[in-house]
Amino acid sequence: MSAYLLPVVVGIGMCLIGAVAWRNHQQHLTAAEKHRLDDEAQRRYQDEAAETKIQLQLSLDAVAQGVVLADADGVELYRNPYAQTFAEARHSEALVEVAITELLAESVQGKSVKRQVELFGPPRRCFVVNAKPLQNTNNTYGSVVLIDDLTEPQRLDAMRRDFVSNISHELRTPMGALSLLAETLVEESDPQVVSRLAARIQTEAIRLSSILHDLLQLSQIESNDAAERSLVDVRLIIQEALARVSQSAQDKQVTVETSLPAWPLTVKGDHRQLTSAVFNLMDNAVKYSDAQHKVWVTATIQQNCLKIEVRDQGHGIASNHQERIFERFYQIDSSRGETAGGVGLGLAIVRHVVTNHQGEIAVESSLGRGSTFTLMLPAASEVSNENEAISDDELIGMAR
Amino acid sequence: MGELRRSFHEELEEIKAGIVQMAALVTEAVPRATESLLESNLGLAQQVINADDELDDLAVHLEERCHHVLALQAPMASDLRALSSALKLNAELERSGDLAVNIAKATRRIYGTRYDAILRGLLVRMNEEACRLVRLSIDAYVDGNAGLASALSDIDDQLDSLNRECVQAVFQAHQADTIDLQAAVQLCLISRYYERIGDHAVNIGERVVYMVTGWLPEYTGSARLKIRQSQHIDDTPEE
Repeated sequence: MSAYLLPVVVGIGMCLIGAVAWRNHQQHLTAAEKHRLDDEAQRRYQDEAAETKIQLQLSLDAVAQGVVLADADGVELYRNPYAQTFAEARHSEALVEVAITELLAESVQGKSVKRQVELFGPPRRCFVVNAKPLQNTNNTYGSVVLIDDLTEPQRLDAMRRDFVSNISHELRTPMGALSLLAETLVEESDPQVVSRLAARIQTEAIRLSSILHDLLQLSQIESNDAAERSLVDVRLIIQEALARVSQSAQDKQVTVETSLPAWPLTVKGDHRQLTSAVFNLMDNAVKYSDAQHKVWVTATIQQNCLKIEVRDQGHGIASNHQERIFERFYQIDSSRGETAGGVGLGLAIVRHVVTNHQGEIAVESSLGRGSTFTLMLPAASEVSNENEAISDDELIGMAR
Repeated sequence: MGELRRSFHEELEEIKAGIVQMAALVTEAVPRATESLLESNLGLAQQVINADDELDDLAVHLEERCHHVLALQAPMASDLRALSSALKLNAELERSGDLAVNIAKATRRIYGTRYDAILRGLLVRMNEEACRLVRLSIDAYVDGNAGLASALSDIDDQLDSLNRECVQAVFQAHQADTIDLQAAVQLCLISRYYERIGDHAVNIGERVVYMVTGWLPEYTGSARLKIRQSQHIDDTPEE
């Protein structure tokens, strides 16, 4: 709320200073007539007044909110550059301008009014328009309209809410199952049933431990600003990830094809983190593919950048979800009935690994046609330097 | 006289702002209707249906305002074209808003239907493409860009082909028994609604070309008819 008040205070201050300056000006002029002061004093006064006005205007220009000031008749006096963007808008944002005009008209009547404008875009945005009359006990000087972009705070808030509800849900489900299974086990004497229950307990325990493992790994990666840096060959990383994912790919009858060059593709980074990132991408590609689908993994060098591409023919991601899939615990709508068995931490891990390595991650996808995740990492310059180039054997040694 | 012209141009600018506002309401209604359809969100569908009243109200006011200006100022040449185009755009946008309402109403009729990923993907793309066309048509209108306006018809081809793809996907989904007949019919209609929104954007483009250059594509057909009539060619269909 204090964010709203600041410009109001600045606005009211501007008006009050203006009013005081005007009164002083009158007194000054009267005094000037009385004492026959010379023109120079008047000019100095005018310069000072103009300077104050410019200072106030520049201050309001720099405010990160939209500010519109109007006089007591509702005639617009000033609009800062951010608010001006709405006046010039020709698409969805034009509706914010409509709100500004309507609320300004209401606040001129002496009412404080507020309206939230939600735009579906794309991108989705949310604005709050506040209009307040500028008045003290004696006079009304006009109105001020403030426009706030709440898109980012709302996104962060939704993310936090999702995180808390997801983590409690994800941990509670296997815990609840474990407790029920254990309860049944205590009273069970049939060895066959006991063994079946024990197997279920084992499955749930593995699930719980995998969630905890992912969470710990994510928290480690997130806090690991100074990860261990060494030269690693991306071909080895992909092969390691492939080995880890091959069993689940086989179970789902998904073929994973890799296309790697014969020469080393070296980056400077943390071997374990990078393997985890590539594994998560490949694991997702397999998880969201159907039987007989293919997953392609390629690695190439493009303009000092190492590009790892994981492409699948799977279910795809709708454009409105693409911005959010890298958030912790974010999973695409369960109404689609897709139970891939993940908890939504994989891509969060990938994003953090990429950030730790000054790289970039991009996704291209359309529903029903599959997705392509592209990981760009800065290639190690040492590759071109023969003295520092490392052999395949050394790389294999490092990988171990 | 100068004062009168100034006031006329101010009026014209305000009418233009009204048209921009109508287009913004349309491009906000269409994605809302789509989300209500894909997420089976009846509350959102009702919101879209209710919000159309605002569009209707604005359309009525804009039309009255245009008539008022026409009657009082009797504009000529490009000014007259700008006003008559605004009237036409008003109607096109109002109709596009109705199509968004149709999508929202169809959502209610087929509540609970689950769509496969291909169908969802096609509906999302049709929604994006329809909104893009409306936005481009408004860009062309605001900038008086006849080039962009006349390109809209070609840009619309993509939406037409998505419509065909969508109908095909609906047939396939129905054959595979993933959706029932009622849902299949409604989905084909929904696909058609998106396609029609694109057509209205193309109509807006044609009007913008007329506003800027004074030429309409229908003039070609009209000229052809006149030539045929002057040559006494009987153009009644043969038995």
